[in-house]
This record gives sequence, C-alpha cells and structure tokens, in this order.
Amino acid sequence: MMDCAHYRRSMLADPHDPDPSLREHRESCHDCTVFSERLLRFESRLERALRVAVPSEVARQPDVVPPPNIVVPLRSPAYRKGWLAMAASVLMALVVAGGLWLSAPGPSLAADVVTHMSEEPQAWRRTDVPVQSSRLEDVLRDSHLRLATGAGTGIVSYANSCRFRGHQVPHLVIQTEAGPVTVMVLVHERSPKPVRFDEQGYRGVIVPVAGHGSLAVLTRGPATDIKTIEEIARRVLDSIVWTG
Amino acid sequence: MKDQIGGNQKRARFQALCQSLRPDLLRFAFWLSRDRALAEDVVQETMLRAWKAQDSLLDEAAAKPWFLTIIRREYARSFERKRFVTVDVDELVAREEPMLAAAEEQNLAEMRAALFKLPDEYREPLVLQVLMGYSTAEIARELDLSGAAVLTRLFRARKQLRALCGEDTSMDPQE
Repeated sequence: MMDCAHYRRSMLADPHDPDPSLREHRESCHDCTVFSERLLRFESRLERALRVAVPSEVARQPDVVPPPNIVVPLRSPAYRKGWLAMAASVLMALVVAGGLWLSAPGPSLAADVVTHMSEEPQAWRRTDVPVQSSRLEDVLRDSHLRLATGAGTGIVSYANSCRFRGHQVPHLVIQTEAGPVTVMVLVHERSPKPVRFDEQGYRGVIVPVAGHGSLAVLTRGPATDIKTIEEIARRVLDSIVWTG
Repeated sequence: MKDQIGGNQKRARFQALCQSLRPDLLRFAFWLSRDRALAEDVVQETMLRAWKAQDSLLDEAAAKPWFLTIIRREYARSFERKRFVTVDVDELVAREEPMLAAAEEQNLAEMRAALFKLPDEYREPLVLQVLMGYSTAEIARELDLSGAAVLTRLFRARKQLRALCGEDTSMDPQE
C-alpha cells in the first residue's frame, strides 16, 4: 500500500503520471486529494509561465538555408541576349520597387508598432518611479541619442531595447499629464511625412526625424486626443540629443 | 533540372519545418539560457547546423527532439566560447523583465522570475517535461541520466519552485 509521502513525491516529480496505484491512493486519501488539486493548479500556472510570448518578428523563420546553386545551361547567343534583357528588366523593376519601398514607410509600420505594444503590457503602468538612469543610458546609447535633462517631457518610467523589424530600438514609456505615453525611436524606419494612427485601442503618431528615421509616440485608450499626442511627440523630439 | 527541383522542394520543406518548430525552440533556448538575444543566436545557429546535418533526420516526426539536442549542444558551445564564470540572477531577471512579465497576470511574472532562480540541472528537465511534453525516459535519454535521477531532479525542481513562489508547502514531503 502506497503511503502519502511516496504519493506526493511521485506527484511532484510528474503531476500527470498515469500510474493506477497513484490514482488509487488519491481516491482513498482526502489530504492527498487536496494536495493534488493544489499541485495541478500550480502546474497549470507553471505551464503558462513557461510558454513565454515569442514576438512575431522573432518567430518568423529567416531563410537559413543557403540558396541552391543555379546552373544556367549554355544556349545560343540570341537566347542569352534575350535572357539577359529579361533579367535586366526584372532587375530594373526590382530597383524601382525597392526604391519606392525604401522611400515610403511600410504600410504596416503603425500596425507593427501596435503589435509590439501587446508584447510589453506591463510597460504601461502608471507610476512616479523613474527607470534607473544607467538603464536608460544603456538603452539609448546604441541608437546614438540621449534625453536632455529637465526637458519637461515627464519622467521616463520604462526603458527597454527591443527587437523591432530586425533592429534593436529604444522603447520608452514617459509619464505625462495625459498618462503613460510610449515612445519608440525608430532610427531605421524612414517616414516622409507624419502619420496618424488609431488601431486596436492605441492612438498615436509616427513622425519623421531628419537624418534619424522616425519616432512613434502613442497612448493606450481613447482618452487622449491626437493633437495632445502630437504635442507630446514634439516635446520628446525637442528633448532628444543625437550623439552620433 | 530534376535535381534542382528536388533540391528546391527539400529546401522549402526544411524551411517549413523550421518555421513550425521555431517558437517552441526559441522558448526552450530561452529557458536554457535565460537570455533572449542568446536564445535567438543559438536557435539560428541550430537551424544552420540542422540544415547541414539534415540527412541524419530520418523521420520528420522526430524533428523536435532532434532540434532540441542540437540546441543543447549549441548552447554548450556558446557557453564555452563566452566563458561565463558567474551568473547574477537578479541582473538576469532585470534584463529579461519584458519577456518575464509579458503576461497580464502578475503571478506568471513571479513564476518566471522564480524559474530563473532554479539551478540549471533542475530547470532543464522541468522545461523538457512541462513545455516540451517529454516523458521521464525521454528526458533521461536526452540528459544522459537514469530515470530515477530525472525523477529526483523534477521533484526537487517543483519543491524549490513552490517555495520560491511562496506556495503553501506544508503538505510537501521531505526528501
């Protein structure tokens, strides 16, 4: 006959162990039933804790496989000429398309910013505790900027270097009179003109920064009007000191 | 031409396999290393090694454990390269705060911080069991341990974790 200590030791090693002798003991012992119920609740929490969110841009599998060697069979000069002409036109189309793609912000830049927000919901906490200045400096250093002291933007309560569209970018939360405002410094994302967005409960702007990509500033919920957000974005921009 | 088509198909299939497994592999590497950036590097390197060694994968159904084994080796290699001497858990927790606290519920964040504090030899079998669905025998094979040793580590892992999370451990058995 199994004793309680043995049962609980087995359950702690594997709470889903299908061994019939474990079930028999559980059914005959009230205390071990209580123990099991508590343990299974804990286990459920453990499972959820281990299943950390993988950001979509990281989850996407980059092409790790080297391209196969393409062998172009030898053909007549006329065929080759035609093939080259076709290749040139394809190349030209790619250059034009590439140029257009580079000169305009991706249509989904705002959507990507909003998606990123859902990965760090804890950042939106309303607080008057500033982030450690050393952490803020570390986060900003790689993007070659710092924030001017006493710029009147509000305290920075959160600073993290986030992977966004293949680059590490500063993700800050500033406590303003309108509540917590998220700022992402997107030095790799060009935007020819300011863009307003209101998506999935987030309202904000993406503003171009001459020579330094763009800046996304957004709030959560409908309480803050877009003009206030634009004003905050302007103040944030004024407070940025570019160091490189 | 036929070889090229075959090669392209093989390539596309491998890419699709990597894509489907990638989130779980990243999670595993994250819990192994407790470092997002390192986890991404390890998984990327793993994919390259896997591509080169794909002929040794005889059954696609066994792809996950095959990848996990490569990840463990790759992580060990990165560990050797970087020669980490000590690990400051508080610093690790602070650095990975966004990942640990990405959940809405505060208690999940606490659990994640507690997982960070578990010794590697307890955290690894626990992750294999709970996240990857490994049986005791599979964990034993992967970690080159006896079944009894795996069960002891899992028992200690949960016991320590429960204590770290402030659970009522009055009913927990002694060793």
